[in-house]
Amino acid sequence: MALSTVSPGTQLLMGEMSTLQSSRIPLMAKSEETPEPVVELSNVRFSWAAVSPIVLDIESLRVAKAERIFLRGPSGSGKSTLLSLLAGVVVPREGTVRVLGKNLGTLGSAARDRFRADHIGFIFQMFNLIPYLSVVENVCLPCGFSDRRRLRATRAGASVEAEAVRLLAHLDMADAAVLCRPVTDLSVGQQQRVAAARALIGAPELVIADEPTSSLDADRRSAFLDLLFRECARESTTLIFVSHDASLAPQFDREIAFGGVNRALAPSADAIA
Amino acid sequence: MRNPVILALAIKSLRNRKFTAALTLMSIALAVLLLLGVERIRHESRESFAAMISGTDLVVGARSSPVHLLLAAVFHIGNATNNLRWDSYRAIATGPGVAWTIPLSLGDSHRGYRVLGTTPDYFEHFRYARDRRIMLAQGRAFEDQHDTVLGADVAQALKYKLGDSIVIAHGAGDVSFSLHEQHPFRVAGILARTGTPVDRTVHVSLEGLDAVHEDAAEGQAADPLAALIGKDPRAARIKPSAPRAITAFLVGLNSRAAALSMQRVVNEYSGEPLTAVLPGLALQEVWEITAAVEKTLFAVSALVVVVGLAGMLVALLTSLNERRREMAVLRSVGAGPTHVFALILGEAAFLTAAGIALGVAGLYAGLLGGRPWLESRLGLFIALGPPSAYELALIVLVGTAGLLIGLIPAYRIYRYSLADGMTLRI
Repeated sequence: MALSTVSPGTQLLMGEMSTLQSSRIPLMAKSEETPEPVVELSNVRFSWAAVSPIVLDIESLRVAKAERIFLRGPSGSGKSTLLSLLAGVVVPREGTVRVLGKNLGTLGSAARDRFRADHIGFIFQMFNLIPYLSVVENVCLPCGFSDRRRLRATRAGASVEAEAVRLLAHLDMADAAVLCRPVTDLSVGQQQRVAAARALIGAPELVIADEPTSSLDADRRSAFLDLLFRECARESTTLIFVSHDASLAPQFDREIAFGGVNRALAPSADAIA
Repeated sequence: MRNPVILALAIKSLRNRKFTAALTLMSIALAVLLLLGVERIRHESRESFAAMISGTDLVVGARSSPVHLLLAAVFHIGNATNNLRWDSYRAIATGPGVAWTIPLSLGDSHRGYRVLGTTPDYFEHFRYARDRRIMLAQGRAFEDQHDTVLGADVAQALKYKLGDSIVIAHGAGDVSFSLHEQHPFRVAGILARTGTPVDRTVHVSLEGLDAVHEDAAEGQAADPLAALIGKDPRAARIKPSAPRAITAFLVGLNSRAAALSMQRVVNEYSGEPLTAVLPGLALQEVWEITAAVEKTLFAVSALVVVVGLAGMLVALLTSLNERRREMAVLRSVGAGPTHVFALILGEAAFLTAAGIALGVAGLYAGLLGGRPWLESRLGLFIALGPPSAYELALIVLVGTAGLLIGLIPAYRIYRYSLADGMTLRI
């Protein structure tokens, strides 16, 4: 059974189904060898408080290893809530969220924080960087919270800082002048590349990017995506990329229209669309 | 591994907000400096007073309030109302159990410094700070009625050296219109510093003092003030070698345990009404009088600490909103709510600890720099010892208060970070 199998009740494949399907075929063959999905949600329902309405209701969602997922949906459709669930910052009221085979609902809050530090890299829309840390310090930050990522970052024998500089170089950010500048002086594109390096350091299995390109112009956007794909491919990293910009979708293995997946929102999402 | 990261983040974050952090630090440091300074000066002034009378078992004078007598006779604060007769002094001084006595005659001054008439026994028997005796830095003790021995501060402030001639004045004021110019004194010795009122005293022999007043009486036959201080010029002329009256005398007993019974003997002395003071007890009474002022000062300085810490609270709280983004980023790289909590609490702890350290350093620097002034102006000899147990308790209290105050913003950001999740909802 293919990892990207869609349960009948959800409409994962929207507009560009045909193009996506063509790119999925080799992936399906590869995923036969690794039956365990990186992300697996089943019958997940979530509300922020016990009495507040259900904002997230997902029957099934599976993401395979090394898959590049484009998660598309209008703002307010519960994307951010889904990311919080995947990050283990919150747990569902019902159902299970499995990341790398671990049921996050069974872990304590500290264990979920450690799990996130060890296995997940994040890139936000903006304000990704800690203003009082240098570029390299920002990139090295996850290694301060995760021994696993620190060990993986130093596998080649170099220091964490050297690994950070190496990653930055891969993202065209190796210029010494850039490295020395306060992060608040960097352009938005540069800041996003630093954030990408931080998400990738120590090779986490899953990278989640929450509209990382929405403040970039078209040229920079595609350059950023190329860099991100290249680095993810190097470590077979799974990428979940959230955006409302449908024009980016063809570059991904698979597109998930979030309005369709989240049953809690389906009617109003249709209305907006 | 994690806590060092949080600590490093807290320090770097503070460095990023240098100006606010420095202001907060300064306000805490100044508050701590004030609190400890008030306490140190209160404690040291008590120590300094206690040191002056630590070797004396009884102070005896004409009947008056014990506090008044002690302050006037020993600390030269105020004036004794009455003198006691020389024969009363001799009768008690030669009594059983008395190891030594030092007669004291006050009432004159030299350019604002008190003049003390006494005997060489003063240099022999007087003890301060438990067991230290008065030492001469230069010269010798007075040998005749023209000699004077100056306290260290007097010599230093007035730039006197051995052999200089000085004139004493009647009364205790800085400026006196009644100078005893007929009888100048010659500086025979200068005392080593003691950190007690001795340093600010001009010492002459009882005979010298009597000679001054005798000369004055001859010069001004009808000196109205001579009658006021109980010195009859005719009596002086009749018996110039034995003083007729002294202000008070200090008594050292063979056994300190006998002080209470000796006090009763003196108080019941039949020759004239006398008062014997146990100096330690009288000093306690003094502290009871000053306690209200001390408490007020302490309360004010404690309030300043509260204001300093409140300033820190305001600074931390106002920074929170802009730092919610930062906290979400930290959460994304694996920081838990407790880390975020510790980050803010760590900042408060660092500011408080650094403020305390700076305040204590400032206190010692201030004491070191201000010591000569305190000594010369207030007569306070401040020891530069390590903080006392009480001071340490105050420091711990301020530190604890700083931590408790840090809990408020730390808890708020903790709540935020739980509610915000991975979203930057700003």
